[in-house]
Amino acid sequence: MNLWKDFNQGIIRENPVLRLMIGLCPVLAVSNNAINALGMSIAVAFVLLSSNISVALIRKVTPGEIRIPIFIIIISTFVTITDYVMQAYSPELYKALGVFVPLIVVNCIILGRAEAFAYKNPLPNAIVDALGMSVGFTIALVSIGVVREILGAGSVFGFPLFDERIAATIMILPPGAFITIGVLMALVNRMEKKVL
Amino acid sequence: MGKTIKFGLTLGVFCVISAGLLAYVFLLTVPKIEANAKASFEGSLREVLPGAESFKSVTAPGAKSEIYEAYAGGKEVGLAVKVAPRGYSGEIVMLVGVDPELRVKGMKILSQRETPGLGTNVEKPKFQRQFIGKGVKDAFEPKKDIDAITGATISSRGVCEGVKIVLKDSEQYRKAKP
Repeated sequence: MNLWKDFNQGIIRENPVLRLMIGLCPVLAVSNNAINALGMSIAVAFVLLSSNISVALIRKVTPGEIRIPIFIIIISTFVTITDYVMQAYSPELYKALGVFVPLIVVNCIILGRAEAFAYKNPLPNAIVDALGMSVGFTIALVSIGVVREILGAGSVFGFPLFDERIAATIMILPPGAFITIGVLMALVNRMEKKVL
Repeated sequence: MGKTIKFGLTLGVFCVISAGLLAYVFLLTVPKIEANAKASFEGSLREVLPGAESFKSVTAPGAKSEIYEAYAGGKEVGLAVKVAPRGYSGEIVMLVGVDPELRVKGMKILSQRETPGLGTNVEKPKFQRQFIGKGVKDAFEPKKDIDAITGATISSRGVCEGVKIVLKDSEQYRKAKP
């Protein structure tokens, strides 16, 4: 029951992007199409899960004073691993995500969950928390990606839906990211009010 | 004092574990990464000069570009030239295939950081098709013989500039060659 609650809170109630509003930098930058958004979500999910597991495992032997530098070492190690593996096995995606893969290091969702959750909770809860947060992040990022790609490029996951000449290019440019994210946040807020 | 040493050692242990892990993953992936880069570049060479079988990197004094001679059946069938003109944000790295009569045979953008949705359209065949068949004597000027991309004049001009450099260097290379 407790585990379910930990999983659940990342999806809507504490959705990292739409409710906590953290990790917005990569969200705004790579959500210009659905494939990039999905690739980024998978990379973040892997790093978040690995770092939550490691932090939960070592929390008893980590002195409180130096926990932050240790978290950073752990996170950057997993980000670098992701970077190499992606370069080796998915060069196309790596090219599309570019600088945002190394920048997962400074994604505050990951450090935030390590500090606020994994450091204070046992392993199973930390794993469940990472999964819940990843699902929440993926839902937010992919919905933004899909909306922007449909309106801005007339396609979804690369499949053309209609003539791209009538698409609104602004949606795949930076302003489109802010507009989409604002509208989605409003919708989630309204949904939450109704549910509660 | 005791605390300082303990903290230092703890951090040191974490660093050593992390460095070891990274070295292992690096050794595991680096051959694949290098092979990917090589295969993708060779694929691009073949794309800009259809029909060519093998390529040889050559040195061209005074050239602003990297020139590769292309061969098919032991005969030279043209040049593939890599050039990096300035675009709207950073360099547009591109590869241009030039046939023996010094006309553009094919082109491909290898990497660019232009504005998504505007400048990135330089990768579209519709834009690149205009360059095919043009030669040293053509002007390559947006609004004259090239239709620039709407909202991306600077990116379009960058590509034109790149093709011009390629043709000039190719001509020079041909002349210098005995």
